[in-house]
Amino acid sequence: MQSAQLLGLACVQALVERQMPEGGWPFTSPAKQMGIEPTALALLALPSSLVRRRCAAIESLLHAQNPNGSWPAFSGEDQQGSGYTGLAVYALNECGEQTAPTNRAVRWLLGSRGWESHWLWQWKFRLTDRQVRFDPGKFGWPWMPKTVSWVFPTAYSLLALKRARADSRPRPREFRIRRGVEMLYDRICSGGGWNAGNGVVCGSALSPHPDATAVALLALLGEFPNDSVTASLDWLEHRAESLFAPWSLAWTVLALHGFQRPVESLIGRLCAVVNPVEIRDSSTLAVVCLALRCAHGPSAFRAGV
Amino acid sequence: MTVNRSTFVGDSRRLVAEAAITALLRRPRYQVVRRQPQSRVAILRVESYSQKLGELLHHSLEPFRLDVRGKTVLLKPNLVDYIPGNHINTHPLLVSAAIECFRRLGAAAIVVGEGPGHQRDTELVLSESGMSDQLRQQKARFVDLNRDELIETPLRAGYTNLERLWLPRTVLAADFVVSMPKVKTHHWSGVTLSMKNMFGVVPGAKYGWPKNILHWKGIERSILDVCATVPVHFIIADAIVAMEGNGPLNGTPRSLHRIILSDDPVAADATCTRLMGLDPAKIAHIRAAAQFLGNFSIERIDQLGEPVRAPVSPFQLLPEFEYLRETNFNLIFGC
Repeated sequence: MQSAQLLGLACVQALVERQMPEGGWPFTSPAKQMGIEPTALALLALPSSLVRRRCAAIESLLHAQNPNGSWPAFSGEDQQGSGYTGLAVYALNECGEQTAPTNRAVRWLLGSRGWESHWLWQWKFRLTDRQVRFDPGKFGWPWMPKTVSWVFPTAYSLLALKRARADSRPRPREFRIRRGVEMLYDRICSGGGWNAGNGVVCGSALSPHPDATAVALLALLGEFPNDSVTASLDWLEHRAESLFAPWSLAWTVLALHGFQRPVESLIGRLCAVVNPVEIRDSSTLAVVCLALRCAHGPSAFRAGV
Repeated sequence: MTVNRSTFVGDSRRLVAEAAITALLRRPRYQVVRRQPQSRVAILRVESYSQKLGELLHHSLEPFRLDVRGKTVLLKPNLVDYIPGNHINTHPLLVSAAIECFRRLGAAAIVVGEGPGHQRDTELVLSESGMSDQLRQQKARFVDLNRDELIETPLRAGYTNLERLWLPRTVLAADFVVSMPKVKTHHWSGVTLSMKNMFGVVPGAKYGWPKNILHWKGIERSILDVCATVPVHFIIADAIVAMEGNGPLNGTPRSLHRIILSDDPVAADATCTRLMGLDPAKIAHIRAAAQFLGNFSIERIDQLGEPVRAPVSPFQLLPEFEYLRETNFNLIFGC
């Protein structure tokens, strides 16, 4: 079995080789469309020593930003904005890029909300459309405009807003953070953990997913500890015992590490199952890099200020 | 007369469904007609999933005279999530058998593609469901349609008013698309069969998990738009163990011991619905698709295998969908 450090280097090397000439990364190699999620995750995963590579990634992200401040899902698509905007802001902020573009993006995030927040849809969900158990008054962010809030985009947006500069519109920022946190707790699965965002449908409890649980937990870093978080961490630890898929395993490492739970054996398993050459999905490769870094240093995901 | 909550919900749902069907039928918005004069469906009796499925399938495909020589075939199974003990996905052995058959029929390339709508980690679903092992054994290529390169594609029907969808290059490049659904009940659309299965070609990377825009635009309408735009050439439906009750995730396994083959998605779905003891005329997207995507009436479907027979007891349904049951079997089966 290779060491975490050696595998980390191999994964970074694989990421570097897949970087497109424009500086971004596609969802899957060797496609030619730059995806925002893989590019933001790769930017977080690149070591600070790779200055030119990081600069190119930052440039490509800034170039892909929509006029309204949001980011699309991938380069060349429509300009309405996507649920990856929070992740792009977070990655840029972590690289010290708290500039006009990220401030514009924060403003867009403050204005973007799941459609369940609209009074008309609140009535619909409270009176007639009640198959999914959720409180429409507790809203987060959607994957795309004119749809309801889901766990991944809400977690990405919370990560971004919590790390955004404190002077960028503190009151609306705090309001949206509180609502987003409430939404995550509202959508939790019975027994802990999250899936895409449907805890109970038609009276049946749905199972949580490791990746969504991990990302939601990372977004809740710094919140007061409570039973929901503890139950979710316990569920994730238990689920991780039989987890071999790199994307879910890597997110699990990041979340458990963030909450000071032991991750050595999980990192060992990552080292056993990951072959960077075989991973076609750039986002997975980047998250594996980030998880392996937990073996010997701080995580890229920290509690908000 | 007393009306309890269940009756009230059922009646309301029936009224809404009838209104939806009326709306869809009254305002046809398709730019393509793929309905053939006559469609073919074969119902195969199969006791269980086994390695023998390949031979059985190959033999059963012969009457369809499929010409896939030199073509790229896309097999689109239904992979939603992995929940131990729940039969929610198309069985890996059936997918493996289909790969084997299309190879024998001379396909130049066979790609298995799916974009799960609930679970983001496609690799997790593949490995935990046992699909990875079968794909490896068959040396078959898998494409995660959620993360494929995307092409903006004009829709060939206008039921959702979306006008365009970004669709995976792999899907658009395929010469021959085979929808391989798991036969299940569905808590939003009543049933999920070969046409609903095509939601899996809509990429999560763009539209999210779940593909919520399709729900907001109306599931029935979205099914029609997607199926008008991405032609389904053949159907291999897995009803060896189907699902009843609160599908597509939390239902109960129901052994039907059947595989349904067809060259028409509407005929396939109408037949599957009849095998579930339900009335296809009450399912909005099947009824509307019969205007332009295929045949729905018994008279226009040639049965190549065993005849359609309703189960002794119809599939269990959520109370909202009780109205899909039809007690007048003469009406459904035309006998």
